[in-house]
Formats: sequence, structure tokens, C-alpha cells
Amino acid sequence: MNDLLPFLVVGVTTGSIYGLAAMGLVLTYKTSGIFNFAHGAIAALAAYAFYDLTTLRGLPWPVALLLAAVVLPPVLAVSLERMARGLAGASVTMKIVATVGLQLAITGALMAHYGAAGLPFPTFLPVDTVTVSGVHVGIDQLISASVAAAGAAAFFLFFRLSSLGVRMRAVVDDPDLLELTGTSAFAVRSWAWLIGSWFAAISGILLAPQIGLDALLLTLLVVQAYGAAAVGMFASLPLTYAGGLLIGVLAAFATTIAAGSQALAGLPPAVPFLVLFVVLLVAGRSRLADAGTHRPAPVSAPLLTPRATRGFAVAATVLAAAVPLLAGPRLPVYANALVFLLIFTSLYLLVRISGQVSLAHAALVAVGSATFSHLAVGAGLPWLLAVLLAGAAAVPVGAVVAIPAIRLSGLFLALATFGFGLLLERLLYRSGVMFGATGTLPAARPEHFSSDTAFYYVLLAFAAGGMVLVAAVTRSRLGRLLRAMADSPTSLATLGAGINVTRVTVFCVSAFIAGIAGALHASVSQSATGTPFTAYASLTWLAVLVLFSVARSAAPVLAALFLTVAPAYSSSDTAVDWMPVLFGLGAMLVALHEASARPRTTTGDGTAGASSRARERIGAPSAARERLQAAAGRAGGRAGPDTGRLRVGRPRQQGDTR
Amino acid sequence: MTSSEHDGLRVDGLTIAFGGNTAVDGLSFAAPRGRITGLIGPNGAGKTTTFNACSGLLRPSAGSVRLFGTDITGRGPAARAQHGLGRTFQRMDLFDSLTVEQNIALGLEARLARSNPLKQLRCPRRDRTSVRAATEAVLELCDLGPHRGDPAGSLSTGQRRLVDLGRVLAGGFDMLLLDEPSSGLDSAETRRFGRIVTRVVADSGCGVLLVEHDMSLVMSICEHLYVLDFGKMIFEGDPADVRASDAVRAAYLGSEAA
Repeated sequence: MNDLLPFLVVGVTTGSIYGLAAMGLVLTYKTSGIFNFAHGAIAALAAYAFYDLTTLRGLPWPVALLLAAVVLPPVLAVSLERMARGLAGASVTMKIVATVGLQLAITGALMAHYGAAGLPFPTFLPVDTVTVSGVHVGIDQLISASVAAAGAAAFFLFFRLSSLGVRMRAVVDDPDLLELTGTSAFAVRSWAWLIGSWFAAISGILLAPQIGLDALLLTLLVVQAYGAAAVGMFASLPLTYAGGLLIGVLAAFATTIAAGSQALAGLPPAVPFLVLFVVLLVAGRSRLADAGTHRPAPVSAPLLTPRATRGFAVAATVLAAAVPLLAGPRLPVYANALVFLLIFTSLYLLVRISGQVSLAHAALVAVGSATFSHLAVGAGLPWLLAVLLAGAAAVPVGAVVAIPAIRLSGLFLALATFGFGLLLERLLYRSGVMFGATGTLPAARPEHFSSDTAFYYVLLAFAAGGMVLVAAVTRSRLGRLLRAMADSPTSLATLGAGINVTRVTVFCVSAFIAGIAGALHASVSQSATGTPFTAYASLTWLAVLVLFSVARSAAPVLAALFLTVAPAYSSSDTAVDWMPVLFGLGAMLVALHEASARPRTTTGDGTAGASSRARERIGAPSAARERLQAAAGRAGGRAGPDTGRLRVGRPRQQGDTR
Repeated sequence: MTSSEHDGLRVDGLTIAFGGNTAVDGLSFAAPRGRITGLIGPNGAGKTTTFNACSGLLRPSAGSVRLFGTDITGRGPAARAQHGLGRTFQRMDLFDSLTVEQNIALGLEARLARSNPLKQLRCPRRDRTSVRAATEAVLELCDLGPHRGDPAGSLSTGQRRLVDLGRVLAGGFDMLLLDEPSSGLDSAETRRFGRIVTRVVADSGCGVLLVEHDMSLVMSICEHLYVLDFGKMIFEGDPADVRASDAVRAAYLGSEAA
């Protein structure tokens, strides 16, 4: 047991910080209905600000701490609150994309300005150790853990006892009712964003000494917080903090278990995602009703007539066919663009046609890539067969990703798929099943098409095939079912369609195309590697695809060109470094724009949607009751306990015996 | 067992509780084929809750729901629809980004696609013909032809009600649950809606269970009425009996008349 104590200390220290970050995340999510994917980016920003002020500008650390952890967050909170207000009533996809965009922008800016490599973080806390019952404990660890624990406890008391805390809980329950009593929900939400940003900033500065100053790592800190938030069912603050501790301790113990085992090396960093994925799967939709209101998609006429679209498609194909004559030494860039065109096409089917957000898409591409190498080089299968089988291998993985889609929708589906993608990345990318310990596998081009030009045409054929397939699916019965499901899954089910089957089917089709794209990616570069297919890439792809959503079905083409070809024509590295910032901000603006273009109210019964967030409250007492309410609310009308509340004011006349 | 027990929707001892609040308490009623049955009651009487339990969106705490002699209490909404139960929504949950024609066609198409991935992927030629025929018939019946190409999200409430109805009519369901179809309609639109429903029942012989507030519509098209209050059945009978009932007047009409 004593062998485990040091790990317990480490686990409690980091876990306490995760818990603090997660509490801020849950608070802002519950009060505003926006799940802030940029929460970790705020943590990273604060840590970098601290580094900049101390190491680069030479300020004493208490001053830097004050500026980075206390003064900076209000600035961010104001813009976050503004963004959240702009997103009220937006579709879940747009709510996700907006904060994902912000995350990409902040992380991208940090990496562009300070470099992508990790930096040494200044130690500002004493690093002496004290011995507690035979275990050496760093004083910095003690301080970190106690600061986080004290922050969490103070906030919990504040939330329970203070008048502002009560108002925050009221905003979660019913913002409109609160406004009627003369309290501004806006002011309360601003406070929530402020506290959330403070918690993020503090956790970033406390965590940076332990994991080093790395924008990507710190940003992904939020994912540890997702796991903690999931343990608290995205609602209970004490459970969320406990979830943070649990994840910290489990990850620390996983380190001891995995020590010396090659197969389990990826386990410790994967623990939070394992927790996230499992909790979301087990908890299911009963407890995880999506926050916020859903409004119907904006209705607008297509930009182009079908005839014009066909014309453009032909012109684009001709242009693409002429690329080898025009591109010269940049031909490989265009070959890569075709692969990404296929990737974006499969993502488009999922996100834009069926309205489901998957953040595990890069993992599907990686599965295709690795399988192709194993089959084509390892087993010596013919090239084409190996490519098709690589697509087929991604299908069951896609089906696994789709399991959460049966139980969850919107935000929680996105979170579950993100967790799954990270799980696969941390656990399997480096294992023998996928890319092996070195991270790369050999891959080859087909025998008679190995020149860049010849292979370019092979890729063009696949890309065109993929687009035709997606166009065909869109026009098929499945396409109609998917678009109907994106608008109203409930009524589609009451008309007799098995919507779970619909959901899984579209994930499988999308995974098949993504798997083929993975095989082609390996083939182009003649080596299969998982490096470009991180969960972070999944986020970027989603943002870039949405950025071009105004182009409708041409969005995949523009997204692929922008992501792969544009950097190749840029003369300066600086511009390339700052491109992710552009993607992120662009996606955020597109999401905000789409939200503002929506009608503010729907026809008919306006209360049904508006009260939906009132259904879940912090520390909700009864799961069964919420499940019934959620189902009844979805079915329409004023069923459920709301009836009881509404009935209080109902005029009863003679014969009223109650 | 009489033939009427196999014929239509039959609810026995339905009880639905939300925590400590019993919304529907031991409710029993029957809505046979070929008849328009009304379910009325004041706000909060439990009508929509009953509807949701019938169409599978809510699990009852006790009691059973039988459709054409089969116990469907444990089945999900899609399975019930495949067994012949269609419903509309008070909120008119239309597919807003699709056109009127596509909305109506999906009424049948969703039912034909069922839970079979292959059937969901492609639409056989035979299906295409029947979907087109059903869609055209419904567009004509509901007089929606001029709006066939409009996105459903751009329609007025009156037209949306008709699209919602048209969707279940195209599906060819044998039992229709209509949830407050007149809310948001003016009296002329309501009368037209009533005429369409009456005609469909006369032509196809399907059963209709109607939850409604508009007394003139209920009294004019329903043959049999059940009156709910506080989740309990307080009266049943034909429209004339209901009109004459003191209990109903006290619970419902009284509060409006005063």
C-alpha cells in the first residue's frame, strides 16, 4: 500500500486542479447553455501570460500571478459572455463549433507566437519536500492541491449560501422567471463566466509547472475536466470536483500499472477519456438532456440551381484533371488536397446532412491508414483490395462511435466521440494493431500508377467517386430520412422509421469513406502514420468545414483546398503558423452569424422549447422524473411536472372540490 | 372477447406518475376503427400525457396500451407506428427544412423504411410509385398543392397543421392520434380541418383519437367523448350527453363560461 501513496499524492494534486477547472466548466455550461470547448485554451492563455510576464519581462511572480490569474480572466469573460449571448437559440452544432473555433484560435495564436514546442515553466512555488507518514510530498504540490480545494470549497459555499449563488441557481432553473423578479440574468451569467474564467486561469497556472508549458497539452486539460464534469453529470458541482479527484488518482495509479508494459503505455493519459466515454455511455440520455433551446434550421433557397451545380461540378472536375499540367512541383500538395477532399466529404455527410457532430473523425481516417498498411504491405494484398478493405475496417469503428449517437445527441454526442477519438489516439495509435511503437508503417502506391501524375488521377477518381457516393446518399431515401432526423427525430420515429438504425447507418457510410481516405493518405506519402490524425485535427476539420458552410455542397472542396493548398502558396512561415487562428475565428464568426440569422421564436407553442433548460437543474433529484419530463417535453405540449406548476394559477370555478 | 377489443386502440388502467405527481390515474378508454373519438378536459387534465403514453414517448407507471389486439405497452414509437399508429403534434414537429411535398412523402417513406438498414438506404421502384401516389392524394385532399415546393418552415400555422395531418394521412395509419389540431387555427380553418378528418375516416375506415380544446370542433365531428380532469375519467358519452352533464360543466365548461 505504501508503494501507492506517492501516486495518491500526485493523483490528488492534479485531480484537485482538474476538479477546479471542471467546476468552472460546469458552472458556465449550466448558466449559459454553452459548453465551452475553449475552457482549456483559457487555462493555457493564463499560463503563457504568466510565463511571458515573469520569464520574458522579468516581473516578480506575485505581480505576474495577479495579472495573469486575476486581471486577465475578466477581459476574457466579457467576450465569452457576449459570444454565449449571440449563440442563444443556435443549433447545437453551431454552439459546439463556435467554442471549438475559439479554442483553435487561442491555441493557434499561442503556438504561432511562442512556438509549438514546450517551454520550461518558471517554478514560483517552493519545491522543498516534507515527509508526511513516510511519503515525500512537495510543498508546491501541497499548495496547488490546497489552493484548488479551497477554491472549490469556497465556491460551493458561495453557490449555496450567497444571494448571487442563489440567483445563479435561479438562472439555471428559469432565466425568464428570474428576469420577471427584476434580476438581470445577463449580470448573473456574466458573473458565471467570470468565475469560470478565473477557475480556468488558476488551474492553468497550477498545472503548467507539472506538465510544462505546452499550448496543446494545456488546452487538452479541459478534456480531463470533461471527464470530471461527466462524473458530475454536467450538473452537480461537488460530484464534478470529486470526479476530478477520481480521474487524477486513477490516472496516477494507471501509471504504476502501466509501468514496464508496452501495451499499456498509453493507458494513464487515456484514463480521463475512458471515464468520459464510459460515463456518457452508461448515463445515457435520461440524465443528459441537452441544454438550450432548439430552433428549426433557417430556411433559404439553394444558392445554385441543380443545373448550375452540375455545371460547376463538371468545370471543377475538368480543372482538377488539368492540375498536373499546371501545378508543377506542387503536385503532391494537390494530391494531398484530394485525400482531404474525401475526408471532408465524409464529414460533410455526417455533420451537415445528418446534423450529428462527430469529433472522432480523424481516428477513423487513422484506422483506415493503418489497416491499409497492414493489408497491402504486411499481408501483400492487391492495392485496390487493400484500400477497399481499409474502408471496410473503419466501418465497425464507425459503428462503435455511433453507439453514443443512439443514446445521446448534440453536445453529449460530440463529447463522447471526442473522448473516443482521444482514447483511440492515446491507447492504440502506438500499439501493434495500428502504427506500432515507431508510429510509422510502410505503404505503397499501386503498381502501374506510382508516378506522382498517374497516382494523382487515381486519387481524383476516388475523390470524385466519394463525392458522387455522398451525393447519391443525399438524394436517396437515407438522405431524406437524415435531413428529416436533423429537423425532428421524434416525429420521424413516430412515423415509423427506426432512427437508431438511421444514425448508425450514416456513421458507417461516413466511416467507410474516411477509412478509404486514410488508405489513400498512406499511399500518397508512401508511409502510414497517425501523426496528422489527432483529436485536435478532428476539431480543426469541423471548424474548417463549417467555415465554408455557406458554399453548401461545395464546402468540402473549399475546405480541402484551404487546409492543404493555401499554406503551400504562402511565402512566409508566419502566415502558415497563424492560419489556425484564422480557421478558428472564421468558424466562430460563421457560427455566430448563423445563430443571428435564425428566427427568434418558433410558431405555435413557444414555451415548450424555452422551458427545456429548466428541466435540468444543478443537483437534480430524480433521474426518472427528468427522463419522463424530457421525453414528454420532446413530444410537445405541457406534460410532466410543469403541468403541476402551470396549474397553480388555473382559475377553478364552482364544483372545484380540491 | 368481443370484436371491438381487437379493433382499434384500447387503454386499460393507464397510470403515469412524475415523481409524486400522478398526471394520469387509472385511465381506461377505447378508440375503435371507423370512429372519431374525442378526449377532452381542462388544461393540465393529462390529455397530452395520455397521448405520449399511447404513442410510446412515455413509459406508463402502470396499465396497458393495446392496438388492434396486440399489447404495445413495451414498444417504442417506431414499432408502434409500424403497427399502424400515427400521431400529430400540438407543436407541429415538422421537418422544417424540407418542402411540404417531402414532409408528406416522408409520412409513408419513414414507415416503409422501418428499422431495416437496407430499406433505409434505397427506395425500391414499387415504393417510389406508392409514395408518389399517396403524396399526390394527400396534397389534393388537404389542398396543399400550391405549397408543395415551399419549405415547411415558411408556412403559416394553419398550413403547418395541415402538413402535420397530411404526413400521417400519407402514412396510411389505421389509428390516428391528433393532438390539439385546432390550436392556432381560426374558425374557418378549424372547420375545414374537421371536414378533412371526417372524410378520411369515412373513406378509409381508420380510427381517430382527438385531443381538443375547441368545443365546436369536438362536438361537431366526434361520435364519442371521454372527459378527463386531474388525470381521471370523469365522464364518457356522446356529445349530447357531455353537453348535458353537470360534472363536465363544473370541471370544464364552467370555468370558461364564468
